[in-house]
Amino acid sequence: MLVRNRMRRDPRTVTPDQTLAEALQLTREHRIRHLPVVLKSGELTGIVSDRDIRLAMPSPLAVADADRADFLERTSVAEVMTREVITVTPHDTVEDAAKLLYKHRIGALPVADGEGRLVGILSETDILHTFVQILGGAQPSSRLEIGLRDEPGELSRAVRIIGEELGLNIVSILVPSLPEQTRKVAIAHLDTIDPREAVQALEAAGYEVGWPSLEMDLRKPEVG
Amino acid sequence: VSDPRGAALIWDPAFTTYRFGPDHPFNPKRLELTLSLMEELQLLDGPGVRVEPPRMASDAELHLAHAPEYVAAVRRLGGDGADRAEARHWGLGTEDTPVFPGMHEATATVVGGTLRAAELVMQGEVRRAFALAGGLHHAHRDRASGFCVYDDLAVAARWMAETHDARVLYIDVDAHHGDGVQGIFYSDPRVLTFSMHESGRYLFPGTGFPDELGDGEGYGYSLNLPVEPFTEDDSWIGMYADFLPEAAAAFRPDVILLQAGCDAHVYDPLTHLRCTTRMYEETVRITCQVADEHCQGRLVATGGGGYAIWRVVPRAWSLVWATLAEREMPERTPLSWLQRWQGESPELLPDLLRDPADAFAAVPRRGEIEAMNRRTLATLRRDALPLLRGWSLGF
Repeated sequence: MLVRNRMRRDPRTVTPDQTLAEALQLTREHRIRHLPVVLKSGELTGIVSDRDIRLAMPSPLAVADADRADFLERTSVAEVMTREVITVTPHDTVEDAAKLLYKHRIGALPVADGEGRLVGILSETDILHTFVQILGGAQPSSRLEIGLRDEPGELSRAVRIIGEELGLNIVSILVPSLPEQTRKVAIAHLDTIDPREAVQALEAAGYEVGWPSLEMDLRKPEVG
Repeated sequence: VSDPRGAALIWDPAFTTYRFGPDHPFNPKRLELTLSLMEELQLLDGPGVRVEPPRMASDAELHLAHAPEYVAAVRRLGGDGADRAEARHWGLGTEDTPVFPGMHEATATVVGGTLRAAELVMQGEVRRAFALAGGLHHAHRDRASGFCVYDDLAVAARWMAETHDARVLYIDVDAHHGDGVQGIFYSDPRVLTFSMHESGRYLFPGTGFPDELGDGEGYGYSLNLPVEPFTEDDSWIGMYADFLPEAAAAFRPDVILLQAGCDAHVYDPLTHLRCTTRMYEETVRITCQVADEHCQGRLVATGGGGYAIWRVVPRAWSLVWATLAEREMPERTPLSWLQRWQGESPELLPDLLRDPADAFAAVPRRGEIEAMNRRTLATLRRDALPLLRGWSLGF
């Protein structure tokens, strides 16, 4: 999945000479955390977050409210913004974008084209939303967990049972690969209200299937 | 004859033409068995009770909930134009919802049954009506799903909202989330949808979490209370009794539309809940109370899921109907009914109409399941009730 499919186009922006008061107002009005800073030419020159602004403000313990308001009015975005902006291009993958957010511990990535012009923004919320959609079924389905031995043919045999023998459509299937995992599990969303046959056929073929079962529940009463 | 305290059952043998094939779990045999039990119990005649035939829903009525192109496709595919790729596009021709001849006419009759029930109630001819064949809550605006072709509930709800300017409280106690109805009214504040169901963590359709609250104008008008697998009567009934009156007081409905699918029963093969017939009697009793308090009694009920067709559906829906019609139910299943059907039944038919309190072993994790369910309810109350209360008062 590419950034251009998930980014927000036409993001709210500020120019370097706008005041912090204006910037803060924009973040509140649109309920956003990050504002890319662009020049009149459209070229990206920085980024400012609501947190940057709050940290720049004098402490409310030391200064009267009126002075804090005055500070916001007379300070420009250019004085507070981050100039070394980490960006992605529309053609990067969402996985790589997620890695950048994680590695640099930042909350949003401006998306810039080849000429450095801002074309969109991708926030951690957008990425989280993408992963929620990937992990959950995007259309009505039943969810099964299928235990897999880590060897060639395991997954394809299971898929063949579901798709060819039973004629069920697979809405999505995910086989996570995590370092701490001792076994592989496929999380499959099947396009049916009645996965009984699929559970039976998979079990008959030697797969362990995760699906609510009172018998399993009885064996492991301590597992919640 | 109009009887403002009476109840109507909508029934016609034509309902059994909504049939996907001999081995399909959504088997109209269950309707036949249920009607036969109601007859043996003499629940279909006597004071305050009438049986009314359905009519066929018109295209204009179907368009209240469905895209005209979808209705046209269902008609074409159920005729002789069954094209596999086209059927797939509309969610038809699948294992769950195969194409069958006369599909449009059969489903339009199911919709007409629920509409007939809504008409009788809204025109004050009866207080409560039960459209036995209705309850196709998985059908979407332009897509069949989960055994459902047209969404009779959504058509009837919008018909009541538009024709009678009614605020409709839709309640769905089927074990599966009522995703079709929720989707059709997701941004419509005139119809409050409340679905209580087994969690979609594993079970079809995989939706119905408390954070699905509606959208735009309809934000706050979608309520979902998913319960843990293996939930039993006490937990279900307790939460229903606590939450429904609160939600109804906040929304102030003019009529209640209840989808009374009976697949939350221990014996149901498709779900993992552990409820008994007591849950259905109590749920309907509480719903009647709320309708009496807020809606001058107006209550339209339908069937829905229910796949233990021998041991559960006939008893559960007879209890639903007896509660709606305020008729006493005997303790024992009529011998004549048992004799008529036992030969055909693959299972021993229960000789008691209500499951005895000790019929099923307690679930070992009962306390934990109850606590998890209560946590879900707390989330729903915290997130949804302020929205509903605030907007109902107009600020």
